Amino acid sequence: MRELAPWLRLIFQRPVRLTVGGGLILITLASGIGLLALSGWFITETALVGLALAAGAQATINLYTPGGGIRFFALSRTIGRYAERVYNHNTVLRLLTDIRVYLFRRLATTTPVHRSGLSGAQWLSRLTRDVDTLDTLYLRLIAPTALAALVVLLMVVLAGVWFNGTVALWLAVFLSSALLLATLAVFLRTRRISSRQSEREERLRIAVIEHLEGFAELTAAGRTGKHAAWLMRQAQQLSSEQAKADRRVGWHLASSHLLINLAAVFTLWVGFSLFEAGLISGPVLVLLPIALLGLAEVYAALPEAFGKLGATESSAERLSRESDATKWDGTAAKTDLPAGTALIASDLSIRHIDSAPIFMHFNLTVSEGEHLGVVGHSGSGKSSLANALSGLMPAYHGSVSHVPLAYLTQTTVLFEDTLRANLLLAHPQASDAELWQILELVEMAERFGLEADKLDTWLGSAGSRLSGGEARRVGLARVLLSPAPLIILDEPFTGVDAATRKRICQRLEQWLEGKTVIALAHGADALPGTDRMIHLTY
Amino acid sequence: MAETADRQSDGAGEPSSAPNQREVKRWLASLARGNRQWIRATVAAGVVSGLATVLQMYFLATLVHRGVVEKVPVTDLTLPFILVLLAIVVRAASQGLQTHMAARCSEDVRRDARRQINRQWQAAGPVAISHASAGELSREWLDHVEALHGYFARYLPQMVLSLIIPLIILVLVFTLDWLAGIFLLLSAPLIPLFMALVGMGAAKLNQQHFQAISRLSGQFLDKVRGLSTLQLFGQTEAASLLIQSRSDHYRRITMKTLRVAFLSSAVLEFFASMAIAVIAIYIGFGLLGYITYGPSDQLTLFSGLLILLLAPEFFQPLRTLSQHYHDRAAALGAGAEILERMDKLGPRFQGDHPKRVTNQAAGPGDRIELQSVTVEYRRGHPVFRNLSLTFEKGSCVALTGPSGGGKSTLLHLLAGFVEPNEGAVSVLGQAPGADSFGWLGQTGFLVNGTWADNLRLTSPQASDIAIETALKNVGLRPLLDSREQGIYSYVSEDGQGLSGGQARRLSLARIFVADYDLILLDEPTAGLDTDSEVYVLEALHKLARAGKTLIFSTHHQALLTLANRMLLVTEGEVHDA
Repeated sequence: MRELAPWLRLIFQRPVRLTVGGGLILITLASGIGLLALSGWFITETALVGLALAAGAQATINLYTPGGGIRFFALSRTIGRYAERVYNHNTVLRLLTDIRVYLFRRLATTTPVHRSGLSGAQWLSRLTRDVDTLDTLYLRLIAPTALAALVVLLMVVLAGVWFNGTVALWLAVFLSSALLLATLAVFLRTRRISSRQSEREERLRIAVIEHLEGFAELTAAGRTGKHAAWLMRQAQQLSSEQAKADRRVGWHLASSHLLINLAAVFTLWVGFSLFEAGLISGPVLVLLPIALLGLAEVYAALPEAFGKLGATESSAERLSRESDATKWDGTAAKTDLPAGTALIASDLSIRHIDSAPIFMHFNLTVSEGEHLGVVGHSGSGKSSLANALSGLMPAYHGSVSHVPLAYLTQTTVLFEDTLRANLLLAHPQASDAELWQILELVEMAERFGLEADKLDTWLGSAGSRLSGGEARRVGLARVLLSPAPLIILDEPFTGVDAATRKRICQRLEQWLEGKTVIALAHGADALPGTDRMIHLTY
Repeated sequence: MAETADRQSDGAGEPSSAPNQREVKRWLASLARGNRQWIRATVAAGVVSGLATVLQMYFLATLVHRGVVEKVPVTDLTLPFILVLLAIVVRAASQGLQTHMAARCSEDVRRDARRQINRQWQAAGPVAISHASAGELSREWLDHVEALHGYFARYLPQMVLSLIIPLIILVLVFTLDWLAGIFLLLSAPLIPLFMALVGMGAAKLNQQHFQAISRLSGQFLDKVRGLSTLQLFGQTEAASLLIQSRSDHYRRITMKTLRVAFLSSAVLEFFASMAIAVIAIYIGFGLLGYITYGPSDQLTLFSGLLILLLAPEFFQPLRTLSQHYHDRAAALGAGAEILERMDKLGPRFQGDHPKRVTNQAAGPGDRIELQSVTVEYRRGHPVFRNLSLTFEKGSCVALTGPSGGGKSTLLHLLAGFVEPNEGAVSVLGQAPGADSFGWLGQTGFLVNGTWADNLRLTSPQASDIAIETALKNVGLRPLLDSREQGIYSYVSEDGQGLSGGQARRLSLARIFVADYDLILLDEPTAGLDTDSEVYVLEALHKLARAGKTLIFSTHHQALLTLANRMLLVTEGEVHDA
């Protein structure tokens, strides 16, 4: 449960909303129970009065109060339900934002490269699944449990007032054990299964991906069928565990309902003796058992929610681990640079988390204004070097110091936002004229000049589709816009045709005059002019 | 984050082949048919639970009537008390059984669906599989199939129950008091109509809700995906503010539509509440004798109370159904994606066993023959036309030529991954792929396990010594010696993974262990570090000397000299070079 604490704190930062939302649910639940109980009371009362009247006795009955009450409850249940759903969905959407913003801020403090051992896409999809499980914490778990407890308390108090203390005590025993059965017991009995479940699923996912990646080899060896059968067994195990948890949830729900029904019958049984003793009236005798029957609805959704709590818990734990990972000290400029130097790497070793070092004892000094080219085959570790020099990837050994820099990473990263917003990331104060100038440089001004929204053209899946080369040029433009004195370009012209590249290169040399540049590519022709060239070999 | 167009173009050019909802429903129905007995058992348990509920209410009403109106002392009411307890226990037991069977049913359905997808993969073959993203395929196999759970476990049985149970209650109420029955019927004018209303509202609600969540998550994910870039530009705080304001914006839009969408469930709630209220007041007035028409003079506390107790149960199945409606939406969505993929992968597979081995004529056992083979992926754009080739057994053949010239297609033909549109291929007297052979792609393939696991994946019978020898042959011995448990240590251990070159050598070791006659290799040395390159060359040399038939595509000079025959593959033409 400790893992959930930061998220619970986050949720409870909206105490007023939570209380109002809970209050609305309470009104709905109480109205539902009240409607039935009052109707039961009314029918019994009228039946008795009707019999008395038929027997010729003088009897009076107040029809207006109960009749009005029934109508009131019918309306308040409807309105309560509607208001509760609208209000609480609003709350859920707000919490959704809170959770994401909080997590984003925490992630932003961690080291960028290799946030976990998983590949980017896998990591992202797991993160999504984990965050999604936190969304329902309030509406599925916290609110219903709190309200169920409150309604139980209400029932016990009413039993004490209308019947007697002993009945109230017994009811308390019945109902709270039903509540425990529907909540804590479900959690404890499914905790292990559901917390292991996501881990197993992850392992199976990796195995399926391996199966698909090795499909050709497996087919060649005539083993696809066997390996697929093995995967099927793993999946079967996963779903039978899930089914086991589902069955437990189902039986817990059934037994908590059983206890509630038993409580109702018990109340009726005890009520009869109180009725025979003349301590309570017939209508009151009917009222409490019927109210108890209505409790089933209050409990109905609890077991399922608690059956998932184990998974939520481990999701929360993973998210905490993820966002508490190695802190990132940023690419902030270091002050220990000798005058006239833009970057010094001394005795640098780099390695990925799961492999042998790519570089060892690497030394490099780049002076201010120097244009350095780094050339090497794909796979020679260029990008890792660029990542390490920029500080994106922590050095395994040794150190890197540099002046403030802007870095064009190997993969183009554009956000689902306007062209303007994408460019301004590098230089928030840049004017429109500056933006157009830089677009002109990478030959994208004409392309966006034709768009109806100009600088406000929406990029990304929902907006204007850029080709790989176009996206690359927008990425390049963004880095060039940055006022930082050091610029690192990793394969700046991927996907850009040779003629365009040549024209851009010429203009680039002028633009980069006075700046320090480190440009990396697979061949010298894919680089703007350089003063010095480093060749990377294996 | 904007995807670059090369990634998007993948599949964008094809005509949209998204299966329609009817097709998805038919597929779901076919899955249900295979597990009919469990669905029926689930429904049966639900019906028993409904009947037990009716009985429980019946005995409760009896008890109240006899105790309160007839003033029977509680000691004489033992029998109805026992009966009500019995009904309660049966109700709980069948309720538990219902979820029990539902879980079982969905378990079987998911297994069937996964098996179908597996067969489809197998029928499609490695080339088609390699064109799709492994991540997406695995998501379909795992998550999408998982999304069918709620539909089969909850929605489908509840759909039937929400017809049967209200009907039973309605009949009972009509026999007790037909006017009260009419009230119930009026409040739910026609149950199908009511269900449609619930369905429409719930569908809209779901759509809106999920759209909102996916938009909110999309905003968040877009920023997380590009987090490194934001960190580099020092813009993370601005981005988090943006997530907040965008999310807020979406929330406001969504709430506008949700306010309307929730009305449909409010309508259901309204009818249910009002029906209870009207019935209660009608019964009350009837019992007082204020109502002079209709059957109300027959009302007793028993019948009146029973009708009241049954009224909420009349609406309960419908309310449950509307809660499960999102299961239906989820299953339809997942099913559509699964079917779309299956259609993309080829003709939907129907039979029991995938047949990849074709009816191609068996040829001579000492050579590999291509007889006037034509292959075209797109109509009118043949990769090869009327190509005839012969390779002797035991030869070492290098295929060279520009990328896109057809080297890979030729290898795929020999592997049986691709079938010729015309002509025939025979490999050492068999159809291609009929006998197992060695295949080395451009990416090494390893599974999360020990070295032995990795090699036994393709050769389950391999002895420890054979495995060690094979690993030695590809130069992985020093690495193995550094591990404590030898071939039984994990391939990726203590953060020591394999480089790309080492992974490919591991794949090559599999070929050594298996002792295949034919070995096909696609650019075996491309992108390797010098170390690995030397080992791979040496290993191939050993295989060639051992009399294996080696056919590989390459540009690498050292490999070209290894071959005793070199073929130039360009624009669908194959020449000896």
